[in-house]
Amino acid sequence: MNAWLDSQQGYWKSWADLAQRGMKAPEAPKNPWADTVDQWWKSVSPMAPAPGRDVFDKLMDVSRGYFSLGERFFTQGQTGETGMEAVNGWLNGMQKMWTDWLQTGSQFRPDAMGKGFSTFWDLPLDTWQRLAANVMPMPGDFTHAYHPEGMGQPVRDQVNRFLSIPAVGYTRESQEQFQVLAQRQMDYAAAMQSYQMAFGKLAVETTRKFQEVMQKRVAEGKSISSLRELYDQWVEMSEAAYAEFVMTQEYQELYGRLVNTLLALKHHMARMVDQGLEAMHMPSHSEIRTLQCRQQETRRENLRLRKEIKAIQQQFESLRAQVLMSQAPQAEKPVRTVTTPVKKPGKSK
Amino acid sequence: MMPLDMRPDAVMQELMAYGQKLSHGVKNLMEVGEISTGVTPKTAVYTEDKLTLFRFDPDPKAVMSRTPLLIVYALVNRPYMTDIQENRSTVKALMDAGQDVYLVDWGYPDRADCFLTLDDYINGYLDRCVDVICERHRIDKVNLLGICQGGTFSLCYAALHPDKVKNLVTMVTPVDFQTPDNMLSHWVQQIDVDLVVDTLGNVPGEMLNWTFLNLKPYQLMGQKYLGLLDTLDDPEALKNFLRMEKWIFDSPDQAGEAFRQFIKDFYQQNRLLKGGLVIGEPVSLKDITVPVLNVFAEQDHLVPPDASRAMRGQLGTQDYTELSFPGGHIGIYVSGKAQKTVPPAIGKWLDARE
Repeated sequence: MNAWLDSQQGYWKSWADLAQRGMKAPEAPKNPWADTVDQWWKSVSPMAPAPGRDVFDKLMDVSRGYFSLGERFFTQGQTGETGMEAVNGWLNGMQKMWTDWLQTGSQFRPDAMGKGFSTFWDLPLDTWQRLAANVMPMPGDFTHAYHPEGMGQPVRDQVNRFLSIPAVGYTRESQEQFQVLAQRQMDYAAAMQSYQMAFGKLAVETTRKFQEVMQKRVAEGKSISSLRELYDQWVEMSEAAYAEFVMTQEYQELYGRLVNTLLALKHHMARMVDQGLEAMHMPSHSEIRTLQCRQQETRRENLRLRKEIKAIQQQFESLRAQVLMSQAPQAEKPVRTVTTPVKKPGKSK
Repeated sequence: MMPLDMRPDAVMQELMAYGQKLSHGVKNLMEVGEISTGVTPKTAVYTEDKLTLFRFDPDPKAVMSRTPLLIVYALVNRPYMTDIQENRSTVKALMDAGQDVYLVDWGYPDRADCFLTLDDYINGYLDRCVDVICERHRIDKVNLLGICQGGTFSLCYAALHPDKVKNLVTMVTPVDFQTPDNMLSHWVQQIDVDLVVDTLGNVPGEMLNWTFLNLKPYQLMGQKYLGLLDTLDDPEALKNFLRMEKWIFDSPDQAGEAFRQFIKDFYQQNRLLKGGLVIGEPVSLKDITVPVLNVFAEQDHLVPPDASRAMRGQLGTQDYTELSFPGGHIGIYVSGKAQKTVPPAIGKWLDARE
């Protein structure tokens, strides 16, 4: 174990040397520092036990962003920029990237810092995407393959017109089902796009607010002297901006629409699956639900009746005890014996 | 003065130290062993469907309160939070305060349970648990301690069955579900709950996890793990962290019909406070005539203090006490300071009303 630890320390020292040299190499990889974290974890994770591996996976996600942030400042520091110039360059770059994305509606969300830091922006969406993937019957992470950003309104209108064409013929019912399915998919895609766009605007607002915070620090004579302090300040700003945004009416509507459209899609898919099962004379989900509902009602009735029977039994026992009590004194009353003295014959006064 | 004073070599050193901490941390991770939860010995005294009623094994030499205390936890998350580790056990602290502690473990609902309603939970399961305890102890009433949603259930139970409750303690319990600072409530107002339940049946625990984590995503899904780095050298601290992680992600599915009513009646229509709530029978806070101790956390982001304080003046009892704790929704159970103040205060309050 000590030898392994020594090798780990050696790994990080070598990384530090290479990182410094690598930044100057003409063909340096795009995100070498974030890649380092990936490679290290790939070598170590097979040995990690299950309870901790999930936690370390999350730590690695954060570490990639953290190393990317450090890489940015290290690189710009080496070019002679001051810390503040590096921060402003970073923030301005992020603002421009998000603003451009919002304006052009390009197909892919921007990765503001390369591979690592995008995980930071994706945090609110990441778990939603996993949840959506689990809720849907399709294998894999369904929503990641879904890129609605490229579908502008004119395209959507065209598709909607196509889907509104009345179905005809013997298979018109199944055609209608597929039309509804496609419509629901588009509704969900549109809701997801609106949700992502809103977070893009939030990102722009967050970077702007962070610049204000830094200016305020100048006025107060405070400085940030470590990467960790910068990261913590960034998280604090992001949380404040996020908390403000998610309490707005706009967010309430976006979130409601996102959840409702996903579930409308799933509901329709489930109905189509049920129809398929019925066609194959197999039990369907709706039949099983009906049985479960009736079973639960029967159990409720059963429990209510048992409770009533128990109450009646208790009343009965109470009445029985009262009756026995009222009968008991007559049975136990002692018989009173009266003795009359017997007169002896012959003696009289 | 520049607000940023970071030299490139200092950044490099910081990240090198980071990497070394990771290496050391993985060593401790490999030796961490099994993550156990629930430390106080207990015995199952009653089971029904997925539910288990536990009694925490009392110390035979200890002098205990005559009236047992039944802990009613939420359906969301698992109740071992109240007994998560040796030096962070609200259950143990309550027992040390002289209470004879029982706990309802609702279990993990599956698809066969999707038609369980709030009536089934409160007037069914919970009522039968109370009957079991009363029969075991030959008493007519129990003390109730409801936690979070469990506290809301306990309020409803006390309103519907005042003859079976002696004293009621609520912890981080929402009564007003529509305070202006309630993020969860704000988010669910436009959710079509009927569509959710009709589509999914039971609501996946994962969905609730995502919702809770998104209350503070950058802290709870990012920064928290960086903080872990500073404790990786300490195997005990690592184990405690992993224990909390296990609990956070251990969310049972929610029985569909119970979820439907809870979200619609409580969150969307706020009926517990405004009136009109029916759980088998009409529920009114004014019907709660037993003594009530309301414990809440000042920095609770899940159940804002005002959501809990709203109980004040709404109950039928004249004996109402509040106890606020300067911490968060979870800190009220696991922080060292909470362990020293909250359970003893609860024990003292109950003993005064024995």
